[in-house]
Amino acid sequence: MLQRFLDPATLASISGLDLVAKTVVDGFIAGLHRSPDYGFSQEFAEYRAYTPGDDLRRVDWNVFARSERLYIKRYRGETNTQLLILLDASASMSYGSHAVNKLDYARFLAASLCYLAHAQRDAAGLIVFDENVQNYVAPSARQGQLFRLLHAIEKAQPGTRTDFAKPFVHFLDFTRRRGLVVVISDYYERPDVIVKTVEPLRFRGNEVILFHVLDPQEIAPKFSAPVLLTDMETSGTLEVSPEYARGEYRHRIDAHIQALRDQAKGAGLDYFLMDTGRPLDEGLREYLGVRQGRM
Amino acid sequence: MGLLTPLALAGLVAVGLPVWLHLLRKHKTTPLPFASLMFFERRTQSSIKHRRLQYLLLLALRAAVIALLAFAFARPFLHSRLAALAGGPKLTVLAIDNSFSMRDGDRLARAKREAADVASKLRDQDKLQVLAFGSQVHVMGDSAAAIQTIQPTDTRSSYAELSRALRSIAQSSRLPVEAHLFSDMQKSSLPANFADLRLGESVRLIAHPVADRRAANFAVESVNAPRRVYGSGKARVEATIAGYGTDQVKRRVSLVLNGREIDSKTVDVPAGGRAAAEFLPADLPFGLNRGEVRIDSGDNLPDDDRFYFSVERAEARRVLFVHEGRNQRDALYFRTALEAAAESAYALDAVPVEQSGNLDLHKYAFVVLSDVGSLPASFETALRDYVRAGGSLLVALGRESALRNRVPVFDEAVVEPRYYGRDGALFQSAAWLDAGHPSIHNAQRWDDVKFYQAVRVNPGAARIAARLGDDTPLLLDKQIGEGRALVFASTFDNISNDFPLHASFVPFIEHTANYLARQEEGPSNYLVGSYLELRQAKQQGAAVEVLDPKGERALTLDEAARAQNMPLTMAGFYDVKRPNGRHELVAVNADRHESDLDMISADTLALWQNTAQGPQNANSGGDAEAPKTMEFWWYVLIAVLALSIAESLLGNHHLTVDQATE
Repeated sequence: MLQRFLDPATLASISGLDLVAKTVVDGFIAGLHRSPDYGFSQEFAEYRAYTPGDDLRRVDWNVFARSERLYIKRYRGETNTQLLILLDASASMSYGSHAVNKLDYARFLAASLCYLAHAQRDAAGLIVFDENVQNYVAPSARQGQLFRLLHAIEKAQPGTRTDFAKPFVHFLDFTRRRGLVVVISDYYERPDVIVKTVEPLRFRGNEVILFHVLDPQEIAPKFSAPVLLTDMETSGTLEVSPEYARGEYRHRIDAHIQALRDQAKGAGLDYFLMDTGRPLDEGLREYLGVRQGRM
Repeated sequence: MGLLTPLALAGLVAVGLPVWLHLLRKHKTTPLPFASLMFFERRTQSSIKHRRLQYLLLLALRAAVIALLAFAFARPFLHSRLAALAGGPKLTVLAIDNSFSMRDGDRLARAKREAADVASKLRDQDKLQVLAFGSQVHVMGDSAAAIQTIQPTDTRSSYAELSRALRSIAQSSRLPVEAHLFSDMQKSSLPANFADLRLGESVRLIAHPVADRRAANFAVESVNAPRRVYGSGKARVEATIAGYGTDQVKRRVSLVLNGREIDSKTVDVPAGGRAAAEFLPADLPFGLNRGEVRIDSGDNLPDDDRFYFSVERAEARRVLFVHEGRNQRDALYFRTALEAAAESAYALDAVPVEQSGNLDLHKYAFVVLSDVGSLPASFETALRDYVRAGGSLLVALGRESALRNRVPVFDEAVVEPRYYGRDGALFQSAAWLDAGHPSIHNAQRWDDVKFYQAVRVNPGAARIAARLGDDTPLLLDKQIGEGRALVFASTFDNISNDFPLHASFVPFIEHTANYLARQEEGPSNYLVGSYLELRQAKQQGAAVEVLDPKGERALTLDEAARAQNMPLTMAGFYDVKRPNGRHELVAVNADRHESDLDMISADTLALWQNTAQGPQNANSGGDAEAPKTMEFWWYVLIAVLALSIAESLLGNHHLTVDQATE
């Protein structure tokens, strides 16, 4: 089971990245995760000229003795953070035009993040949902948490349709502590509804990352002839011409992605599109690269 | 349209196969699951109808391929007339009459003008061919510019020849032919047999008459004059003046010799009739003379108002007649017959055999040995050389010559003399005559000629021209060197036979004399379109020089060395120098059928045009042309090929769709 989710190549790729330089999370695992806040810790960060109001306990008197100038020392804060993964297991996530469907791809992604958090001694939790909460693993850094998480990920099965509003009400109850919230879904909902639903997580000081998992066939359908399509969630059928799929559909899905990206950015949410046709590690590395650039 | 193998249409049953495949066999459509139809719209429903339409198109293509394949195997054909009606390309033939009669007024210029007008209205897809026709059809070219190169000729127009050419063009071109005829529509140009005017089925004839009405015309229809006059003989020139569509009128007729008017007369030509004029020119010069009979007609066709003829005044040719001294009768009969027949063309020198030793033989046209016994050796040697060099010899065998073992010069053995009175048969008749021999050609029958004596000679390699009832060769002909020798197995003295007393004796002597003297008695004038014999086969290699009426050489060097004959294409005098050195003047005149400008009636013209439409004339004989058909199965196969490619592409497209949906 472990081997299925933790592909050695994927794991090595993620471990090789400098997470310190790329993420801005609230807590750190010592030596790897570093807080953007300056605090009371043992690791020196910089000197700053004293200004009235500063705590005199932070003044470096050794420097004052040599230079008769007041400087205060600043240290990097060190803390543990909490990772909560929200995994969409709706029926539409079982779609795939090649060997790996979207749900498998989301499982790989969630497992990788869980393993990463476990290696950093971070507390990690998982919520699997469709229109209801299918499974919940409370965040914890205890021994055996990783296996619980992976087991829960493995048990996730395609359910019914996605209803963001209904399960997210409960999510707020699960996030009592500031941390990193990762939402993995195909987001078949209006962007404003998605953002409106997810946005409250951000209010509590969480860093929210939206992983938008889509199949290449969903991004750019390639039909050589008219086809009869069946909606995997509603079971409705529709006959689609290749001209429409090449033209109007692509225009609409691109507009949807762009709207989601823009509105998420506006709400302070991180958004990243994961194409299941691309390697998982590549997607993660690209995301982390974007995070690094944002710093 | 028709089908050559209609049974192949049974293959149309196979059209049911694609119908079964498409309409009767149920197609199942597998839905393709998709994550969400959130971004699709209901209006794409019509695409399936479009697909069904494509299936129907595929069905139609497949059915069409099978149906056309069966149709192609049925070998469909179109009648070329239908092909023409289909508006396809056609071959436009502009046939312009340039015969002698087109010299009347501006007929030829008008014909060329109207032809150019027709050529200017042709469509781009039409082909053009320009013909000029008289007695023969000449292809002038395939552009309108060729019209202007057509010149008038002196030939007689022949609509039968034109129809034959149009049939040939229609057969070779494979296109419908639209023939425009620009002619004065002379009735005299029609053939004797109307079936000769038959046009091909794909030929459409459009007539453009360039003569508005029947024009009155006078012409010198014919001139009868001797080709040669010997010695002091007089030449009688008889001319016939004809009026075509004319009123009764007097016309002045004149005789012109070597460009000088010798005599003239006024004749009364009846309405639409003929009048004769006779001239006896007294002072005909020696040698070749250019004769011409002219009338003053005042009509639009002056070229037929003169008629050319040639006449030659020559000395009589000498003939050596060698006989036994005591026998004068044969010379008498021979001379009398010769003078009676040949108008003093020959002068007979009768010489006893004893005086023949020192004669110069080369001045004689031919030599006659009339029942001579022994010949002086020198004379026989000279005679043999004379014959081998091209001279001619006639040997009559009688009692004296029967004593010899061989016929002199002829060199064949004397078998025996035959005396029929002693045998009880009393006489023999000529049982068989070779009518093809020049001596006997056109001769009267010899049935009542009685032969009492004859000498049987071994014929050897000689040609036997006549035999007696007992199979004895009577007349033998043998080529010796360049000359020839004739043996008459009896005598000319009215003793061995009674031949000299019969009327057939004179033409026999005349023809034999002309044959031996190589005296060709041709006409004094020829018609344009006839052929002039230039040489005999053995004269190959010796050049003939011919100057046409314009004074230009009528033959190329190769033709001058090889040609056996040549066509006479224009009116006037041809100067001919033959291989043997003889100089001749050949007078040539246009055919006077061209002088009759009476036009074809509208009914006859319509009948001619309809020969391309109705069934073939029953009188046309065995060469009736089969209806021309144009098979187009290969076009159908090309269509099948194109449809098959389209079907493959469309079918492959559908196959790809099916695989995608699965």
